[in-house]
Amino acid sequence: MAQTSGLRRRLPDLPTGSDDWRLMGRTARLVLGIPTYAVVALVAAVAGLTLFVTSLNLPLAGFALTGDLTLDGRLRILRGLYPFVGSAYDPFQGTLLVFVAALVGVNVAMAVYHFREHAVSVESGGASLAAVLLATLGAGCAACGVPILLAILSIFGVSSAALLLPLDGLEFALLAVVALVLSTHWLAEGMRGGEIRGCPVDL
Amino acid sequence: MDTRRAFLAAGAGTLAVLAGCTSGPNGGGDGSGGGDGSDGTTAGTPTPEAAETLATHPAARDLDAQPRLGPPVDEAAGVVVAFEDPSCTLCRRFEENTLPDLRSNLVDTGDAAFVYRGYPVIYPWGKPASQALESTFAADADAFWALKDHYFAEQGTFTTDNVLEETEAFLASETSVDAAAVVDDARNERHDAAVQADIEAAQAAGAGSQTPIFYLFRDGEFQTRVSGPQGYDVFAAAMGF
Repeated sequence: MAQTSGLRRRLPDLPTGSDDWRLMGRTARLVLGIPTYAVVALVAAVAGLTLFVTSLNLPLAGFALTGDLTLDGRLRILRGLYPFVGSAYDPFQGTLLVFVAALVGVNVAMAVYHFREHAVSVESGGASLAAVLLATLGAGCAACGVPILLAILSIFGVSSAALLLPLDGLEFALLAVVALVLSTHWLAEGMRGGEIRGCPVDL
Repeated sequence: MDTRRAFLAAGAGTLAVLAGCTSGPNGGGDGSGGGDGSDGTTAGTPTPEAAETLATHPAARDLDAQPRLGPPVDEAAGVVVAFEDPSCTLCRRFEENTLPDLRSNLVDTGDAAFVYRGYPVIYPWGKPASQALESTFAADADAFWALKDHYFAEQGTFTTDNVLEETEAFLASETSVDAAAVVDDARNERHDAAVQADIEAAQAAGAGSQTPIFYLFRDGEFQTRVSGPQGYDVFAAAMGF
């Protein structure tokens, strides 16, 4: 029993019950209900999505911004890099990237609120950053395809597993979802017991 | 708290390992790519690609000997040099979604040339398929384009074991080439020099280990590199159309 209890103390606090998910939802809703933080979330989501898609084509993005092009040409190139507007991603991959970007927006808004209004926990901010990096890797691997994943997985002796990856590398984006959910959970836990817009952060 | 920090530290370590994914030729963003140094560049040193031309850019080596759609490259306002792997799913998306518009709007009108170069780096069956493509091109250009389209259209059905058999069946039924002779050439890699020339050109241009990757030229001058199955508008705008 003592061993079990010790092990539990050493494991990260994970969202396991419905109350955890409801707390995350309520906290996010309260933060996003403040117009300033809604704007922060929107800006962060757009910035996150832009980071994901331009990381795949930095030379092209640089050419669009600095090359000898008309304004219309620049906009056509930049617009084409985004999911659903361009054709680089299929609908599932596009939806996944937009979803991750939206999560980034919510997560950043909550982290900024927590930074400004409460004493923020370092690991929550770090997890948010890790999630953004993972999402970028996911977008990147969608373009670099299977071989890089194959090389990475071969380090761990699972080289043939990459052939079974159905998302051409966007599995990293799924990891980003996990990291973002954990970060959001920790932020919500950190804000539990406080108030947002006069409403208690609790269930 | 400590556990969370350890978790994050482990995550950061994993990210460091995975960083190669975005620090490759695409993600690096400096245009230097993952070249082997044969073009005079070293990792981390920006390549002066913007100043290069069809005559000097590594991607355009031996361009006259490559399968081409549209006008000769020295007569075309725009040139797309495409490095593709028949087994690459993203290449298939480019072939399905973007190439038809490129052909009808720019290639068939004589405004741009599209040059195909094989770069088999994805699934293993792409290698024998690339041998078969070069062997077919040596026999007949029309048969080459038909076989290339067939590979992408039926991509999910090929394996390393069946690709040459399936190739022979397709060439025999749909083209006028001597299918058995072409596949025998492919099996014995008699046109391996052409396959290797494409691979070396891709590596020298910093293509890394990804497909599809495209090098765009306008009036003979290199414009930019495009990664992934971007849409027609991106290609047209980047070439000034």
